[in-house]
Amino acid sequence: MTDIPTPTPTETAAVAARPARRSGLRQSLPSMSGKLLAGLILIGAIVLFAVVGPWITQDPRSSGNDAMLPPQPGHWLGTTSLGYDVLAQLAEGARGSLIVGVTAGVVAIVLALLFGVVAGYLRGWTDEFLSLVTGIMLVIPGLPLMIVVASYLQVRSLWVVALILGVTAFAGPAVVLRSQARSLRVRDYVSAARVAGEKTPRIIGVEVLPNLLPLLASQFLFAIVLAILGEAGLSYLGLGPNGSITWGTMLNEAQGGGALTRGAWWWFVPPGLMIALFGTGLSLVNFAIDEIVNPKLRLAPAAAKSVREARKAGKDKLGRRPATAGVTTERTDVPEADGPATDQKERVDA
Amino acid sequence: MKFYARRIAFYAVTLWAAISLNFFIPRLLPGDPFTILMAKLQRSGDIPAGVENSIRLLLGATQDQSLWEQYVTYWGNLLRGDLGISVTNFPTPVTELIGDALPWTLGLVGTATILSFVLGIGLGALAGWKRGTWVDSLVPSTTMLQSLPYFWVALVLIFAFSVSLQWFPIIGAYDVFHFNGPEWSWAFVGSVLYHAFLPAVTIVISSVGGWLLGMRNMMVSTLSEDYVTTAEAKGLRPRRVFTTYAMRNAALPSLAGFGVSLGFVVAGSLVMEQVFTYPGVGKLMITAVRNNDYALMQGVFLVITLAVLAALFLMDLIYGFLDPRTRHND
Amino acid sequence: MIRGKSRGRRLAAAVAALTSVTLLAAACSGAAGGDEPAGESGGPAAEGAATDRELVIWAGSQTPITANFNPYAVGVLHLANGGIYETLLAYNKLEDVEPTPMLAESFEWNADGTELTVTLREGVQWNDGEAFTADDVVYSFTNDTAKPEYLADANATDDTTVVLSFDEPAFANEFAILGSTYIVPEHVFSQHESDTGEDAEGAALKGLVAWANAEAPVGTGPYELDSASNAAYTAKANPDYWGGEPKVASLRYVGIDANQSAEDLLTTGEIDWTTMFVPDPERVTSTGAYGYVNTPIDPVVLYTCANTDLGCEGDQTDVAVRQALNVAIDRSEINEKAFVGLATEISPTYALLGRDDKWIADGMPAESPQTADAAAAGAILEEAGYTKGADGFYAKDGDPVEITLTSVDGWTDFNNAAKLIEEQARAAGLKVTASTVSWNEFADTRVSGEFELIMGGVVGTSIADPFQIYREWFSGDYTQKVGTALEPGEWNFSRYANDEVDAAVQAASETNDEDAKAEAYATVQEHIVDDLPYIPLVVNATQTFFNTTAYTGWPTEDDMYMFPPSWQGPSSGVVLGKLGGAE
Repeated sequence: MTDIPTPTPTETAAVAARPARRSGLRQSLPSMSGKLLAGLILIGAIVLFAVVGPWITQDPRSSGNDAMLPPQPGHWLGTTSLGYDVLAQLAEGARGSLIVGVTAGVVAIVLALLFGVVAGYLRGWTDEFLSLVTGIMLVIPGLPLMIVVASYLQVRSLWVVALILGVTAFAGPAVVLRSQARSLRVRDYVSAARVAGEKTPRIIGVEVLPNLLPLLASQFLFAIVLAILGEAGLSYLGLGPNGSITWGTMLNEAQGGGALTRGAWWWFVPPGLMIALFGTGLSLVNFAIDEIVNPKLRLAPAAAKSVREARKAGKDKLGRRPATAGVTTERTDVPEADGPATDQKERVDA
Repeated sequence: MKFYARRIAFYAVTLWAAISLNFFIPRLLPGDPFTILMAKLQRSGDIPAGVENSIRLLLGATQDQSLWEQYVTYWGNLLRGDLGISVTNFPTPVTELIGDALPWTLGLVGTATILSFVLGIGLGALAGWKRGTWVDSLVPSTTMLQSLPYFWVALVLIFAFSVSLQWFPIIGAYDVFHFNGPEWSWAFVGSVLYHAFLPAVTIVISSVGGWLLGMRNMMVSTLSEDYVTTAEAKGLRPRRVFTTYAMRNAALPSLAGFGVSLGFVVAGSLVMEQVFTYPGVGKLMITAVRNNDYALMQGVFLVITLAVLAALFLMDLIYGFLDPRTRHND
Repeated sequence: MIRGKSRGRRLAAAVAALTSVTLLAAACSGAAGGDEPAGESGGPAAEGAATDRELVIWAGSQTPITANFNPYAVGVLHLANGGIYETLLAYNKLEDVEPTPMLAESFEWNADGTELTVTLREGVQWNDGEAFTADDVVYSFTNDTAKPEYLADANATDDTTVVLSFDEPAFANEFAILGSTYIVPEHVFSQHESDTGEDAEGAALKGLVAWANAEAPVGTGPYELDSASNAAYTAKANPDYWGGEPKVASLRYVGIDANQSAEDLLTTGEIDWTTMFVPDPERVTSTGAYGYVNTPIDPVVLYTCANTDLGCEGDQTDVAVRQALNVAIDRSEINEKAFVGLATEISPTYALLGRDDKWIADGMPAESPQTADAAAAGAILEEAGYTKGADGFYAKDGDPVEITLTSVDGWTDFNNAAKLIEEQARAAGLKVTASTVSWNEFADTRVSGEFELIMGGVVGTSIADPFQIYREWFSGDYTQKVGTALEPGEWNFSRYANDEVDAAVQAASETNDEDAKAEAYATVQEHIVDDLPYIPLVVNATQTFFNTTAYTGWPTEDDMYMFPPSWQGPSSGVVLGKLGGAE
């Protein structure tokens, strides 16, 4: 899918570049930032809506209502041209979109692990082969591939679409993971494990993977957003799942039914907004992961802020020092943090 | 040197596999172009007697080659630079169709991608520099823009600015109601810019957030590096620290991503081109896929494949140059 | 003002009707009235004033537009059909009236339908200045690309008479010969008979099909090509047009990729003539700038793969299931919700109600049931040995009825109708699952017969006679085994084959006598109404919008002198010849 925004390389690069720490996540979790909280609330609310919504709204495929009703009591988001209740569709669509997103995300990450981490760690012919597959997947236009796969399956269910989206989306994360795995491979503790005679699967599982965890998490969240956007794009082109309701198929139907020109904003706007809100929620969590992985992102702004406040209070000359010191202190707390020089290089590597 | 040889071999194999897939994928699609043409013709009423005969003749001409023979012919033609003739746009050669579409795609999607990158990097750097202030707190809101479906943004923009306010045109790369085709005149250039505005805005809106975020994060990290602190301590002007020390280093990883995005520019933007009736490569690809137009599909895939491979290759070279470890590790 | 105008039109219609009577007389009275003086009979005569305002048309073209004005080509552009090339006669698809004379003045069949004598219009010129001759007509029927299989011979007996002869009675092909064969200039087309090209596979193509005719196409029609780009093409009036120089000086056909864009352009007033589905036409016409006609013509049906003898599979092969589904469907709800109330009632005989009423045999239901009758559906199924299971669905011998209904994704009206049918069938205890497929898949499965139910269209007949549908959609000669693709021209997707229907179709094709035809049709109807190889739903809307502020002469409800869609040839050429600037 050339049209679906690919995971922004900068962002993933930024994450990939963090110095690897063996138990990074646990150590820096305590401070729950506002962004993380907001993100979790957004995601939680939408997931709750997807789980509970279908039970308390009416049948999303009941055409018994009047068509094209504007929002009103009983139909809080109005009805479609077939008389379907938009709120009910939105709830059912949330379920569908989340299933597509999470399934595709899992598929993409699992494949990315195989094609990225294994390739990056093992090298040699295995690497050559796996990289070749990744390379081809990266280069082949995804859309026709999806159409071919989809048209071979008589009924394009939600799961099939999710699977297709996952399979066609793994190449990006695989590249990122591979380069990170390559750089981890030459770390001292990994070399030590190898020298100690540990088996490869164990090294990958115990030494390499935990260090990739934050990166994996952020790639996973990205893959979910991309899959949901991808499903919407496919649906717009008329290739979405059939028989299921998702936010994408809702948009497709609203578009086909001329919702915008007929002034039925209540039909066209909510699904798009839901996608955006869910994407925002995941991105906010990603922010938090970034800050956990790279404490600078969290501490530096705070430090800069305190500098400014100090400056305001007239302690300009003194103010600058403690701020930098604060960062340095935090860094020494982090075990195995690499120096700035190598850090910079790895960033390029990623 | 061994490193480069290996990389070149890798690209050659990838290219061969991709081109072969480009050959087989279209042929795996259900239906044949003529059945689809008949279905389409039926959609718009009577089929003139002569046309029905033509379809029979066209069908007869294509049926006798085996897949293998077709594959060999395909490679032969490819090496001669002959991409065949489009069925849907009969009898225009595919090279001509792509040649016509490519400048529009490169112009619009390319410019929009560059614009989005520059804007994202600039704003991201600023947000990183002003870390901890209100500017910084605006950053999360850009993720919202990034998460909006592309076509949704485009349709809303058209509805608001083209239909309701009538500030911008609805279709085309230039005023198709006035010009009889591209020409060299200021009026035409003006028309092109005017028509490119909304599509470009759509692309920028949906992609600027990513660059901005990445840049902001890199900037924040870079600003706490020792060499920046040193520079500040030396008493360099903040402006100089900002541009020469921080921004330049922070933008480096973004450049890598930018390279790949430029490779994908050639693919155009399927949905945007569809929504705005913009005559680009993405539009050709949809047409080809929907009509089982094998030759056109192969041609478009080939061009995209080559562009992306070229971008990746270039990146590889640059990385090999910037980071010697990449070479030694192999 | 509008009142006054429509009265004027009515007069014009009356004149047109009168001339068609003349034509009818000419056609039937044989030798006696055969050589009526040429000139004043029918044909387009422009209304209104001359105008330089460019008429913008969307006829459904998408970008990139490839200049192709060869009427034999698959990708021929709309201007060519009717605008540049004309047929001998123009048939009015909507009314039971005589055809409008175009390049022919009159025609006459011999008694057994093996010889057709056509009298040509005099004084017609090709737009390159050459005279239009009887030889051009002969060439148009006999060149390798155009020659129909059923045509034995064509001869010009004098300057204005062409005799076409056939081995079998050819009454049934009258429309194809006179109304849908474009007349091309021999002096131009014969130069391109050995043109070569290659098709998508690189296979060699030879002959007229390989020629795009993109440079100054030579025709007799009201317009000439002016310019062509891949976004739009323009035409200018043909000053020497036999019907008088058109009053609209220039036309512009544009390419638009999305229906939404076209609708937006209607809203902003940038398109003057287009035919497309718009869910709320009043919104477009409310400004007063646009006139609008809805001319339902094409039936929407459920194709059922019906014939197990030819390899059909699935529960819909049981006629009881089809009959039950037929009464379980709530057609008025489907029209109201899926077709926004714009479609009209369908007759299960496939005679177009209002136009073909005389062909509906006595005892046949005029229209399919408009409301759902779940009880009747249940009765039919139980009669056939089905029993209702605990889940509320019918099953036979433990095998539940489960049918998949596909429709092409993006054909919103069809998709919606399919969803409603799923719901309505469920209420009657039939498990129908609506699913959408790509256009490719739809085209592929219907010609190969590998489907259960498809939401599809039937091409409405071009003349006031359902025969075309009976022959091409219902007769066993127009189908193939499941797995074998139908040939171009064969439309019997349901694989329906019934010897009595085939015999009746054959009998009808051999006669021009109305009573004999009606008798044959009664046999056909009796079977198809019962067997339901296609389950009729509605007759779909065809909505045409036109700019009435700047132009006059459009077909309207009061004066439907020709089928109005912008994409339909040759009728669009007749409309173009009639247009003029509004005062």
